[in-house]
Amino acid sequence: MKTLESRIGALKTKFDESLAGATDAGALEELRNEFLSRKRGRVTLLFEELKSLPPEEKRSFGRLVNELKAHVQKNLAVSLKGSIRIKSGAKGKLTVIEDDADRDQVDLTLPGETLPWGAPHPVMLFLEEIERIFETMGFSVAEGPEIETDYYNFEALNFPPHHPARDDWDTLYLGENLLLRTHTSPMQVRVMEKHKPPIRIIVPGKVYRREAIDPTHLPMFYQVEGLLVDEGVTFAHLKGTLDLFLKRLLGDKIGTRFRPSFFPFTEPSAEVDISCLICSGRDQACPVCGGTGWKELLGAGMINPQVLKNVNIDPERYSGWAFGLGIERAAMFCYQIADMRTFYENDLRFTRQFFLK
Amino acid sequence: MKISLDWLSEYFDADIPASQIIQALERIGLMVEGREEKEGDVILEIETYSNRPDTLGHLGMARELAAALGLSLKERRWPLSELSTRTADLVDVQIWDDNLCPRYCGALVKGVKVGPSPAWLRKRIESMGLNSINNVVDITNYVLFSTSQPIHAFDLGKVGGAKVIIRRAKKGERLLCLDGTDLTLAPDMLVIADETKPIALAGVIGGQESAVTETTTDVFIESATFDPVSVRKTRKAVGLQTDASYRFERGADIGFAPQAAVMAASLLTAFGGRVCEVPVDVCPLPLKKKGVVLRHRRITDLLGVEVDPDFIQRTFRALGFDIESKQPGIWQVRVPTWRVDIEREADLIEEAARFFGYDNIPAVVPPLQVVDPIPDKIRQTSRQIRPLLFHYGFNEVIDFSFSDAERESLWTTGLEPIEIRNPISIRTSLLRTTLLGGLVETAAWNRNRGLDAIQIFEIGKVYFREEQGFKERLSLGMLSTGMRDEPHWRTGRREADFYALKGTCEALLRQLRYEPFSFERADRPFFEPGSCLALALKEDKLGCLGRVAERIRAALDLKQPVWAAEIDLDLLFGKQPRPFAYQPVAKYPSIIRDVSLLVPRDVAYQDIRQAVEKLRLPILEDVRLIDRYSGESVPQDRISLLFRFVYRHLRKTLLAEEVERAEQQILSQLKRNFGVQLREGGQIDNRTGKN
Ligand SMILES: [Zn+2]
Repeated sequence: MKTLESRIGALKTKFDESLAGATDAGALEELRNEFLSRKRGRVTLLFEELKSLPPEEKRSFGRLVNELKAHVQKNLAVSLKGSIRIKSGAKGKLTVIEDDADRDQVDLTLPGETLPWGAPHPVMLFLEEIERIFETMGFSVAEGPEIETDYYNFEALNFPPHHPARDDWDTLYLGENLLLRTHTSPMQVRVMEKHKPPIRIIVPGKVYRREAIDPTHLPMFYQVEGLLVDEGVTFAHLKGTLDLFLKRLLGDKIGTRFRPSFFPFTEPSAEVDISCLICSGRDQACPVCGGTGWKELLGAGMINPQVLKNVNIDPERYSGWAFGLGIERAAMFCYQIADMRTFYENDLRFTRQFFLK
Repeated sequence: MKISLDWLSEYFDADIPASQIIQALERIGLMVEGREEKEGDVILEIETYSNRPDTLGHLGMARELAAALGLSLKERRWPLSELSTRTADLVDVQIWDDNLCPRYCGALVKGVKVGPSPAWLRKRIESMGLNSINNVVDITNYVLFSTSQPIHAFDLGKVGGAKVIIRRAKKGERLLCLDGTDLTLAPDMLVIADETKPIALAGVIGGQESAVTETTTDVFIESATFDPVSVRKTRKAVGLQTDASYRFERGADIGFAPQAAVMAASLLTAFGGRVCEVPVDVCPLPLKKKGVVLRHRRITDLLGVEVDPDFIQRTFRALGFDIESKQPGIWQVRVPTWRVDIEREADLIEEAARFFGYDNIPAVVPPLQVVDPIPDKIRQTSRQIRPLLFHYGFNEVIDFSFSDAERESLWTTGLEPIEIRNPISIRTSLLRTTLLGGLVETAAWNRNRGLDAIQIFEIGKVYFREEQGFKERLSLGMLSTGMRDEPHWRTGRREADFYALKGTCEALLRQLRYEPFSFERADRPFFEPGSCLALALKEDKLGCLGRVAERIRAALDLKQPVWAAEIDLDLLFGKQPRPFAYQPVAKYPSIIRDVSLLVPRDVAYQDIRQAVEKLRLPILEDVRLIDRYSGESVPQDRISLLFRFVYRHLRKTLLAEEVERAEQQILSQLKRNFGVQLREGGQIDNRTGKN
């Protein structure tokens, strides 16, 4: 009977060699079939052989065969990465199970599995918050072209040709009358040309300026345009909406200040400041407000009747307001980011933080 | 605009504290951006607006302040020591182009002793950040910064024929400017000329030849109004921006031109000057005061608050407007000449609001109303993609839309990039034709900072030139390199590879129901040869994926392999997705068969799959490749593919023979088409687990 013992030993060696040569799950599955298949598996056949042995030998060899079976099972399982094995379940499903041999010694304090999860860009995340706030107020969201004509970017918005007001929007030109839009306001005109009041819409998108890159200026940044046109729309509504919006976005403690300004396409025009929560105006060296207590955040105003006329909306019947907000600037204020360039370095250690918010 | 509070006090009887001035100005939108104390004076830097040239001088600021504080302006007198000679007898002023020069005034001051400025004048000039030059030049600047009306002083002795002609330049005429620039003039430029040649570029800069020097005695003061557009075009063409052109291109006060000349002349009498009688005033077109109707109801309607009519009348009068009530609630308003910004009722309402105070307008949330949505399908669909990509471990990045010739020639996308005509730098002189350039640079940036797992994507526009013009298209770029996530004891080290990226592309198309899609081998100059697939939906190529070319990685010193994909979303979203239809959950059990096939190595998986699908077996519910194996037990020229076939009948339990028959059909089809063989013992019926 020595032969049976040596055959078991040889089988173990053969198994170990095959296992060492196995490189993928398929090879392991094959190995499992070779040794454990219920019909022709080598271990299965050994158990068949045991049946014909005398009881004593049955016991001693049975132990050896059982050891071999356990060895094969254990090592097959361990070889599959992460010490799991894939087993064809009775219903034909692939099921992942805990290894039997380890069951008693599992260290439950081992860290759980992680799934890699991608994160949105902080500008988009911030933009989405803005969109959600306006969507609750019944606003649609649409986008528009970045390559614009002089007409939509300037003329229809009441910038006469050759007017110095154009200098405030440093423009990158692509052709005689083609440019990279300097603001999202051209979409005011495009939307009002196509849709009749009442209109409630916000337009997020990239805008471009001929500016050198520095910590507070970028040649490309995101803006969101807001537009509301209806009968009976007032400056008080503009104040109410923006005040509500800014409080929802930045917190109830935020104070807002509207001060007169000039934009050719709105009248009256306003610049909207938010109160500095860092120093409340008490620190002359405050990096956010410079001691004024206020941080300029957006431009707004009642739509200039001339702009309404340009899109064939009767300014005697309808009025409206519009605003434009720089996203990065708002996000910088919100998260205390000192340098605007950080957004476009796309350092994943920076961008990935924000979805924890 | 710099405003000296000391200077401003020339216009008021009472002393007003600086804090009160700043507060009042800011309330009406004149924001103080800087503050400097100098020799007992406070100099403010005030933000002005391009439509308000009248605020580009102390007089204009004083008017605003007076109206804001309810004060009146001090009357200033400019006495002249007059000669009995008429100005017109000594200098001949002619306007030859009254469109470009609607008014030209001049005063002639004889016997001026040119010399250093007195202390008071030097202080004023220096408070504006200028250097004092001499009394005559300083006086012209004093008038400009006082009244915002630019004036110019000529040495009459150097004005040929004592003729001052306002005309367009002749082709080839030249002018040596005060700042030393030698200009060649163009015929659309307006000049001041003597009898033979230009002596000044109208509204922009004077000429050196006719300039006042220490030997000058007779000074001719010009105070004119020039067409703003003409001045703007000229100063842009010659590349000169001066204090004068800055004001003229915004619009000078045509009504004030004579007074500015008188003011300068009066100041020159302190230096021996005697002024000729009847200053020149050539004004070919009649001056009209603009009239605008203002309705009280309209103010209320637009502001959302009722403003006291008395307050409105008071404010406009304080600002120099004539305002008369024609009938209750309706005013006829006449606009002062310095308010070039006021054209329409809306402009007046803005003034009313400004002085009423934005703080006094209530904040009211507009009533909720049902408004038709304005859909943007492309945007909505592109937003659906993002969560899916996050789920697959991809991080969103946003890159600038710019590119440069170097990057474009590295990538050679085959698209013609759009040039920016006035780029800020050579690095940003083109618009990108692919998102992949930025993605690879972002990958390199992160790799250089020690990140191992870099899976990124961008959804953004690419731009290119076509025969019909400029195009911008929404694109999706994806990049995967290094590890797919951090190493972990359960999952080991999962590396980025082609199939991981491909799987993300497939999932995306399936999720959005853009099916059936297919992949074909393709070549792109920016991918390694033999590593690239083109993605197609029906016949259209929507994008490609592959392994980024070695030379591109080398250019960025990125040593590890990088996989990337780009999909044209405008093209994709232009397609009709497969309609969604609910499928009842099958009541009858499926039969699952795992079949191991020996496939010649040159046969592609996609071909096998399509051949099986072509059979259109009604009971075949799903086909899935679950393993792929080559090794000892498989012939060299073959590969073993383990397919799982799921069979099901919707209305009954399948019989073993039916499955057997279907499987035979599949096997013989594959054998016929590709020489595929069944592997020894390669069929496993998973329902019973028996061979
Ligand atoms: Zn602060």
